[in-house]
Amino acid sequence: MEKREVLFRIRRFNPKRDEKPYYQEYRLTVPKGMTVLEALQQIKDTQDPTLAFRAFCRSAICGSCAVKVNGFPKLACKTQVFNELDKFGTDTLTLEPLDNMDVIRDLIVDWDRPFKRMEEMKPWLVPDPEVVPKTLDEESRVYPRELKKFDQFTDCILCTSCYSSCTATQLDDGYGGPFQLARVYRFAVDPRDALKAERSKIGYAFDMWNCVRCNKCADVCPKHVSPVDGIMKLRGLSIEVGLKDNPGARHVMAFYKSLLESGMLNEVLLPLRTKGVKGVLENLPVGIKMILKGKAHSPVMKPIAEHETLVKVMKVAMEVE
Amino acid sequence: MAKFAFYPGCAAKGASKELYESTVAVAEKLGIELVELPQFSCCGAGVLEEIKEAVDLAVNARNIAYAEREGLDIVTVCSTCLLVLKRTKYLLDNDEDLRKEVNEILSEAGLEYRGTVDVKHFHWVLLEEFGEEGLKEKVVKPLTGFKVYPYYGCHTVRPESILGFESSENPQSLEKIIKALGAEPVSGERRLECCGFHAFWPAPRMSMKLTGLNLLDAKKSGANCLTTPCPLCHMNLDANQSRALKEVGESFKMPVLHLPQLVGLALGIEPKKLGLHRNIVPVNC
Repeated sequence: MEKREVLFRIRRFNPKRDEKPYYQEYRLTVPKGMTVLEALQQIKDTQDPTLAFRAFCRSAICGSCAVKVNGFPKLACKTQVFNELDKFGTDTLTLEPLDNMDVIRDLIVDWDRPFKRMEEMKPWLVPDPEVVPKTLDEESRVYPRELKKFDQFTDCILCTSCYSSCTATQLDDGYGGPFQLARVYRFAVDPRDALKAERSKIGYAFDMWNCVRCNKCADVCPKHVSPVDGIMKLRGLSIEVGLKDNPGARHVMAFYKSLLESGMLNEVLLPLRTKGVKGVLENLPVGIKMILKGKAHSPVMKPIAEHETLVKVMKVAMEVE
Repeated sequence: MAKFAFYPGCAAKGASKELYESTVAVAEKLGIELVELPQFSCCGAGVLEEIKEAVDLAVNARNIAYAEREGLDIVTVCSTCLLVLKRTKYLLDNDEDLRKEVNEILSEAGLEYRGTVDVKHFHWVLLEEFGEEGLKEKVVKPLTGFKVYPYYGCHTVRPESILGFESSENPQSLEKIIKALGAEPVSGERRLECCGFHAFWPAPRMSMKLTGLNLLDAKKSGANCLTTPCPLCHMNLDANQSRALKEVGESFKMPVLHLPQLVGLALGIEPKKLGLHRNIVPVNC
């Protein structure tokens, strides 16, 4: 069987003893197919019993072994060493604890903050008495069509990979977080839930409009969940329940209006439509620079060819369930 | 000669005119035929999904349907347009029920989505059509000595499951093009980080901070300029540069070139034709 000599650079940190984190190197002969978790266990068994990492099910279902492999969050138990080496054309794997959380020791992070945040957002079913029967004698049915709306979000295993990579989480303490907001959406469209779309107000309170749509959460999820999609849809629900007078919602409506008017985005009117006079004033210096460089179009835009098919399609799409 | 349905997107048709100009000039020089379909609408930049997913999908299935009528793959120069169109295609190609529903909407306008054409980014096409060696042969003014920061941003690489052109964790397309042009790609720690453009309205300071950090990384890496395949990243990095740098307590000038502008310079196209005079941060070339 094919084997390779691999250098593992592992970030170590024991807050009780170390002033700051440092990297320790271990060499290991890795056979094809060996996972990062198996490699970690072998290093611990044969070279350094003090190395700390977390793992439990070894089957990509408990979510406890997520670590950063060459900079990207992965489940150690699901990730093969060779695949990662090939991707980066290297014989070195750098293993680090997840980001956006405190390190307890070495590769183990403190989950308290993201999980407490999730609890604050109440992502659990509040049964709708008109839908959920009072006794267990009757079933509470969810039809496939209904399930499709939130099915993917039930696959989340709380490994915090998305939270670790989230751009908004890194910069905004008030931000709800990707898996947490996606979970709020999951219950907002559950037909058994009593709060339903009203839950989007929780998303609003937890800065859901600050998601930058970097799509890192969708890219790193080991269960193929796309939290960003849930966040986008939760924003839509907030507009539906009347949270319309904010820059996020007004920006959405500005696009919608532009498409109905001409089919193309009216960039010139965007600051006004999104943030009112404040938007215009805030962006005036850069706006003037752009006008001077010949970058601004006329505020009155000519419609695209066959614009009527666009208007028709948009109107019909708005009406369908 | 390769022929594509050209989807410039609103930015290249508006505030990033220079991207339109440079793309057309480069395509002409390389013999790539770009046919701009007059029926193409704005893709909605992902925000239509925030009104209703059906609207987002129907609008973009409509766009793709017009390209299908012409039998041409779509090529775009905007990363967000790319992701929005690709996502529509991905969802409709992998879910028969959804496709049927969207086609019922399109049929009201006499259109149909069939899934017969692909959606590509312009810089992917450069590599697919010519390869690194082929591009090198076309270069008449090698950008020798230039250190270029390859700024990918988000929507040409993530999510890989939808975009799929290259690894989202270690993409190399920009590095390959930069090398083919005779310049040197610097290794940027933040080449895959977000510029914050899509949160500019609700969270301007966060957006500017992200852009500022990216510019700072380019400066630290010793780059002479930064190049990006996305006009939205470009808007934040170039037009909003001084505001972004203020947010991270810095002040310097870092030229930011649309990728076709950089390619155009190496192909010997005159700067005016590449719209370089429209960049907010001056490009001295």
